[in-house]
Parts: sequence; structure tokens; C-alpha cells
Amino acid sequence: MAKKNQPKAARYNSNHKRSPTSQPDAEKALHQRTYKILDYRLEKPSFALRQIRDGDAVRYDVSGRLSAPVPPIRDSKYLSKQQCVEIYRWMLLNRKMEGALENLYKQGKVVGGVYFGLGQEACSCASAYALKRDEWLGPLIRNQGSLLVRGFSARDVMMQYMAKAGSPTKGRDASSHFGDTDKRNVVAPISTLGDLIPVLAGVALGARLQGKNIAVMTYIGDGGQSTGVTYEGLNFAAVQNLGLVLFVENNLWGYSTPADMQFRVKDLAERAIAYGIPGIIVDGTDACQVYDAAHEACERARRGEGPTLIEAKMMRMKGHAIHDAAEYVPKPLFEYWKKRDPIVRFEDYLVRVQKWLTAAENEKIVAGVDEELETDREFAVASPMPEPESAAGGVYCEDGCHEVKPKYAMPKLGVLKSARRKQSEAAVHLK
Amino acid sequence: MPTLTYLEAIRQGIWEEMERDPTVFCIGEDIGIYGGAFKVTDGLIDRFGPERVIDTPIAESAIVGAAFGAALTGMRPVAEFQFMDFIGCAFNQITNMVAKAHYRWGAPAPLVIRGPSGGNVHGGPFHSQNPEMYFVHTPGLKVVCPATAYDAKGLIKAAIRDNNPVIFFEHKYLYRRIKEDVPADDYVVPLGKARIAREGRDLSIITYAAMVHVALEASELLSKQGIEIEVLDLRTLSPLDRIAIAKTVRKTSKVIVLHEDVRTGGIAGEIGAIIHEEAFDALDGPIVRLTALDTPVPFSPPQEEYFLPKVTDVVREARRLMAY
Repeated sequence: MAKKNQPKAARYNSNHKRSPTSQPDAEKALHQRTYKILDYRLEKPSFALRQIRDGDAVRYDVSGRLSAPVPPIRDSKYLSKQQCVEIYRWMLLNRKMEGALENLYKQGKVVGGVYFGLGQEACSCASAYALKRDEWLGPLIRNQGSLLVRGFSARDVMMQYMAKAGSPTKGRDASSHFGDTDKRNVVAPISTLGDLIPVLAGVALGARLQGKNIAVMTYIGDGGQSTGVTYEGLNFAAVQNLGLVLFVENNLWGYSTPADMQFRVKDLAERAIAYGIPGIIVDGTDACQVYDAAHEACERARRGEGPTLIEAKMMRMKGHAIHDAAEYVPKPLFEYWKKRDPIVRFEDYLVRVQKWLTAAENEKIVAGVDEELETDREFAVASPMPEPESAAGGVYCEDGCHEVKPKYAMPKLGVLKSARRKQSEAAVHLK
Repeated sequence: MPTLTYLEAIRQGIWEEMERDPTVFCIGEDIGIYGGAFKVTDGLIDRFGPERVIDTPIAESAIVGAAFGAALTGMRPVAEFQFMDFIGCAFNQITNMVAKAHYRWGAPAPLVIRGPSGGNVHGGPFHSQNPEMYFVHTPGLKVVCPATAYDAKGLIKAAIRDNNPVIFFEHKYLYRRIKEDVPADDYVVPLGKARIAREGRDLSIITYAAMVHVALEASELLSKQGIEIEVLDLRTLSPLDRIAIAKTVRKTSKVIVLHEDVRTGGIAGEIGAIIHEEAFDALDGPIVRLTALDTPVPFSPPQEEYFLPKVTDVVREARRLMAY
């Protein structure tokens, strides 16, 4: 790795009195506390967004260095050539699958809307790639690429959108709202934001009770992090020292609301300081940065060292969903981020910079993805809609439909035989 | 047979399940060294250690979310709410994340959310509520409301063993007032089965939790006047024992539905509809609802007494209904 690529630590000072953690620094810490936020980025875009009145309309205006040169992909400290190519293929599959979904929507084959992760493929795919098979992930609506990496196929996602009987939820829910507790270890998201955070923390808690420290990963956006449950979940993970890897995907827009109207801190990674956990900033359009931060956070989790907050900066390159033309986004912002396309740049890195792929090999990968998607599209389109009566039933787990057993190992937790049940009548609330 | 309070019976049930099954653990606020605000989990931490009796931040959504996450790995968490009044803080986790999991993506969620509910202890608007109907209304949850120590132990054990999310409402007025012989051995009371708390021929009172005892006291008074009341203790509000409801109505033809919850949207309305569906032809008089007022639970004792259904109310309504 080139020396210029070394991460720089931003420093944050606070005058808050905190109990010192190490004796030599105790005296100093009483007066000054130093916090570090690692920043892996090779450029630090800084734009100001203002709401302005323009004639009869109110719109957003952007200012800043919009003509800055596009940064290179940062060399990974951990990824091999082959792993880089695999991640690249997942990203291609992610994007092209969403292209196929857009076409299916235009053909009237999709029930409801379509959500896209355009511009965020590196963040979804390279983060999920850092997890091991027996670890867990909870995706958000734009992390359809993460689902592919966890072992779901494009046809699963397509059938979800088309509400087919063969979809992972058998037609009962849409989009990325599916999961699997059996093989792929994915928690199905719900529409409200932040709720996956305590759930993934609980997954890590369950595994720890079964004797295994695992990494668990989920995501939250610049909009979703405003919710109370985000705080509750991450604080719980921090207090319990659970191996949660939380990607804060700062894609600048929460539906139509710019990030500036969601929070006052400069970088959402600063939030980590207040939870007492490490915070890292990465360029969310750079798969290598995303992977390296995710890998390091997962390794911490596996060592039982607790959660990590990773802020990935990028931009949502479409509207909130397919119906939303995102006309509220200033055009220069789209132009700026379009030049930072995660797939175009990674392709250039693999083919031209590193020469890990020849043009012919690259073409073969693209053709393979296209072929896979065409097979899946045909399968999904031809598959039947659910029988109306299948709306009923399945609300409860009953008649032995599922066996509940520890995923990792039966907990080996001792009991103190001398401790007996108390017959106490201590002072209590409201006798 | 040892004599246990309602509270001790719950503790014994949890204790026995933790002994029996290493996947059972407790999680909640102040449940460890302090033993819980009402001391239900007192002593569990000494026996099972802080790994299995986990004190949490004051964060109800995190408690439920974490319990659900652990359940996904095959654990059986028992989450305590310090007061069931605070369950609204975790409403989204319970009704959207947990309750819909099996229907949407086939994920069993074997977790118990338990805690004290109910009034008559002068706890005021935020320490006395009966929020069970929010959850009876939500498909995917089971809702349990024991009235006796025997049932409290048997039902908490059944709830822990169930593969579904169970909301377990403990009536705080009963915690130390009810004392009875409870078998020291392992037994469960199945969820969804009501119990005849008192046999009678003239009139049925369908009720649950603390109001079972109000109904029984009123029944003794009415018996002296020659009116024999049958008291049906529902035990579980979801699933509801429709068969037992229809059976007692067919036997007596006259029904009072009694509950401490507020009137509008209380289970009495649902039970009235079930009676119309299952036993309309057997009715010999109107279905009478006896419930709390449609107000928050007031703090001052005279106000709270006015708010709650009382023995005298039951006696009056039973005599009125007997005139049909």
C-alpha cells in the first residue's frame, strides 16, 4: 500500500469530565480528552446545501468544489486479486439486477414500486463480503446487493417485487423484505428505520451465550439514524460489547430531505465518540475502503471487542423509489457523484490500473452476469402468482413447523448450586 | 405442597425453565442484583449468573429487539418490562418486527415479554394500565393474563416453551395478595385454554386477571341470594378459548363480561361478538359489559375506586340481568 494512502486520524477534543481509563493519562484526561475518527478517504468532499427561494419556487442550491478531480481507488490492505474481482462481479450483478427490475416495472410486471441502490453498490457488496458464512446481516431497502452476497439470487429479489408465490416470502412481503434464519443468516428488515440495530445486537448476544463471538452487520442511513431506536440499539451493543458492525450509509438524502436537515455534526462517524466505540469514515463508492473498514470491524467483533460504526459517504443516485424523479437534488451534485461511480472506477482499477483483468476477461464477467440475470428474469416472470387462500395461515409457529434449537452450540452456562430461590419480601414499588 | 404467592409462582416458573433449558435467559431493567422493581427475578442472578440475567439500559425497544435477535439464534429470552405501561416504547419492535416475522419470512420468535400491569394500587396513569388489547389486536402475538398462582407458574412455563412471541401480563395487585398451594414439580398450563373458576347454573361471568377474584367474591354474595354464578377465567386472551365461551353461555344463557381494561376496544366487545356468532340462540338477556371507565387510570384512591369495576357493581348487574 502506498504511503499516501495511510489513514489520517481526525482529532476531536472535549472538555467533558470523564473518568480516566488509563492511569498515566489520568491527570491529563481529567482536563482534556482526545478522540480519534479514522478516515480512509482519499478526498473529502465538502458541500454546502442551502434552501433558497427562486422566484415562486423553493429549491436547494449547492456550493463547493464540484470540479475536484476524481480520486483513485485506494489499494486494499486485505483483499486479494481474486476477491476484488468477486466483489466487482457482485456489484455488477447488483446494478444490472436493478436495471432488470426497472424494465420489469416499465413492463407493468412489478407490484408496487422499485427501490434502487444505484451508486451504493460498493457499500452493499463489499461490506457483506467481509462477513463469514455463519455470521449475520440485516439489510435495508437499498442493500439488495448485500442479499446477493449472502447467497440469495436475483430471481429471489425479482419474485419479491413481482409478488410471486415462489418469492422468499411467498408473496407476503415485497422488495428486500426477506430473510433466512437457516442457511444465509439474514434478518428480514421492516419498513421503519433503525429497528434492525438492536435485533442484530441480539443475534450477537445469542451467539455469545452459545460460546461464540460473531460479527453481525446492519445498515442505517443519514435519515434513519435520526430515530430513537438507532440510539437504543447501538448503545445497547456498546454497553454489552457486542460485535455489531453498523454501516451508516450517508447518501445525502432521506427521501427528499437533505442530510443537513437530519443532523448537526459534520460527520456521522462522530456519533461513535458518544457511544464509546470506534468510528471510521470511508468513501462509500470505493469497494476497497468499504471492505477494509468492514473487515477490521468484523475482526474486532470476532475478538469480542464490541461494535464499530462506519460512516460510508456517497450519494443516492436515483429518487427514493422509482416514482420519485429526485428533482429536488441539484443537478451539479448528480454530475459530481456520477464521476465517482463505484463500478466504473472499480472496473478501471481492475483492468487498467492493476491489470488484474484483461478486457476479454472483463467482457466474460459482464456476459456471465447478463446471462445469469436473463435466466433469473425468465424464471421469475414465468413463475405463478400465489393462490388467494395462501393469504391465510402461517401467522404462528405451530404444529412443529419449525424446530427451535441453538444455532451454534447448546449454551454451557454453569449454575451456582448453593444459590437458592429467595423468599424475600423486600421493599417494592406499589405493594 | 408449598404455599406460594402469585409472584413467587412466576419466579419459580422462570427458575425451573432456566434450570431445565440452558437457552432460556432473562433480560430487562434492574432485574439482576436488584432483582427487579417487584423482585420477580430476585436471586436469579446468584444462581444463573449475569450472563443469563442481563441488566440493560433503559431502552425498551433495545430490550425487545435484542430478545428477538437472540431468539433468531435459537435462544428463549424472557424480557421484563418494569411496568407494562412502558410497553408503548417498544410498540414498533413488538408489532412490526416480532409479531410479523413468522408470517412474512418464516422466522419463529420464541420470546416472552413479561411484566406487571393493572391498577388498584394507586399507581396513577403510568403505573396502572392494562395495555393488553393493543397486542390481542396484533396477529402473531399470544397474550396471557393469569389470575392465580397455580396458573401463573404453569402459564409462564408454557409461554417460555412456546415457539411464538408471548406477552405475559402479570397483575401487580395479585403479586402478594394471592397465596395458594402450588405444586413444586414441573407442570404447564396450556395457552389458549380457559378455566371454570366457579361452577354455576344461572349466569356466566367471563373475565380474567384480577377481576376473576372480584367475580368470585360477588358470586359468594349472590349465592346467598340463591343466584349461582359460573365464572369463566379466560387465562389467555390470544388465542381466545371460543369453545369455553360458547359452552358457558349455552349453559346459563346470561352473560356478564367483566374486565379492568377500559370499555371501548376492550375484550368484552370481542367476546360479545363471539357469543353472537357461536351462541346467539342460547341468549336469554342482553350481554352486559362491566369495565373500567373510558379514561386514563386516575391516581387518587377515591377516583381509582370509582374507575374500577367493583364487587357491588357485579352484584347489581347480575341481579338486573336475572330479571330477564
